[in-house]
Amino acid sequence: MPETTSHHKPRGGEREDRDDGSSDPLAQRVHDARAGLTVLLTEAEEARRQRAEAAPTDSGAVCAWNHFENIPTFYNWNNRPR
Amino acid sequence: MAGQRQAFSGMRGIAPVPTYVVMQPTTLCNLDCAYCYLPFRSDDRKMPAEVAAAVAGAVNEWSAAGRFSVVWHGGEPLATGRERFAELLAPFDPGVEHHVQTNATLIDERWCEFFAAHEIRVSVSVDGPRERNAERVTRGGRPSYDRIMGGIEALRRHGIGFSALCVVARPEPGLATELYQYFLDLECDVLGINIEELEGVNARSNARDPVAVAGFWSELVGAWRRDPRIHVREVEWSLRYAAAVLDGTADEVLPRQLDPIPTIGYDGSVVLLSPELAGFTDPQYADFSSGNVLSSPLPEIIAGAAASTPWVAEFLSGVEACRATCAYFGFCGGAHAANRYFEHGRFDGTETDHCRNSKIHLLEGVLDHARDHEPPQASRRGAGGSG
Repeated sequence: MPETTSHHKPRGGEREDRDDGSSDPLAQRVHDARAGLTVLLTEAEEARRQRAEAAPTDSGAVCAWNHFENIPTFYNWNNRPR
Repeated sequence: MAGQRQAFSGMRGIAPVPTYVVMQPTTLCNLDCAYCYLPFRSDDRKMPAEVAAAVAGAVNEWSAAGRFSVVWHGGEPLATGRERFAELLAPFDPGVEHHVQTNATLIDERWCEFFAAHEIRVSVSVDGPRERNAERVTRGGRPSYDRIMGGIEALRRHGIGFSALCVVARPEPGLATELYQYFLDLECDVLGINIEELEGVNARSNARDPVAVAGFWSELVGAWRRDPRIHVREVEWSLRYAAAVLDGTADEVLPRQLDPIPTIGYDGSVVLLSPELAGFTDPQYADFSSGNVLSSPLPEIIAGAAASTPWVAEFLSGVEACRATCAYFGFCGGAHAANRYFEHGRFDGTETDHCRNSKIHLLEGVLDHARDHEPPQASRRGAGGSG
């Protein structure tokens, strides 16, 4: 894992997304984090490969995330039971 | 890049076919956890075989078209007993995937043999090390941790892999690292973390300090990436969304329609979308059910719910309100029905404390972590103003 390179103020308490839809500060924050996210995504991909959760090569990049064969389908994201 | 806010097209209406159903084989639970949302968990109301047979009629057809799961929830599903449980499983085709969400306290050698024989996937509920399970107690108020671990050790002896669900009551510095190390040692395959919710008969507030919650999730990412052997639901789904935003495919993340997730109560009653509503009544919304499988086929119940169940229609308008007002809709898909109801008293409100704790501050915590752990080269570029 890369060393801590900076300490930003956590954004949890100061969201600015209650706007009129004319800007997209959340997407901007994701893009601002691209460098760190890129490393994290590479590590996550390797971790999935190690866990034998790699996506089939013939499926799309996004929908492939839904096809981890050994992940219980009820551990889904939307309206999941607890 | 980011400009006008992304419009999201997913989650329009309710899909006619679910990806799984939740079954309540008994209302009874042998534990009495302080934060539990379930009513009637001290009563032993068991599901008759006729209910399972009625559900299996639809499920067997759906499973012929693709992966389909039945989640045996509860109460504590193992409190049903193996003989009755086998009767309930019998009408389902072999291709149907079965899961149990269990407190693990009843798991022994014979249950492990049962899981293996019926190819049942197991998920256990445990909140971390012994001292973190103080609220998971028996009906006599005694700690349950040794019994939970006894069940997990039986699973290990039999080589049965398992998932884990962990409830976090108070996010605080150090906790995420402690919990992740615990679940590494436990050797679970998949981990889901639920910040405690105000829900059902649990009326404790779930308002939390946003910075503490985001800090918890950020710390969890750090702990996870040091040894990412476990599939952590919250980390995977956050990264999935962040990757899609970076790729310009964020609108493809959400399912096109809401999964109806029918919960089948012990008596055959069907509650859609939020299992937590099953067993409750309200002067305005009645018992939240959309029908009963003993009198109507499950596909018909699902197809008619939006028109015939007032709270479902109200919920769908709430989803549209989330779509119109919340920047996190593409990540979340709209506040869960039960959280809206138990926090706001209705279904067409928008942001809930659950949204904040488990969606909004989760994503922000992951982004905080990524920004704070840029590779050195990118960090230098950023400092120079050219990144």
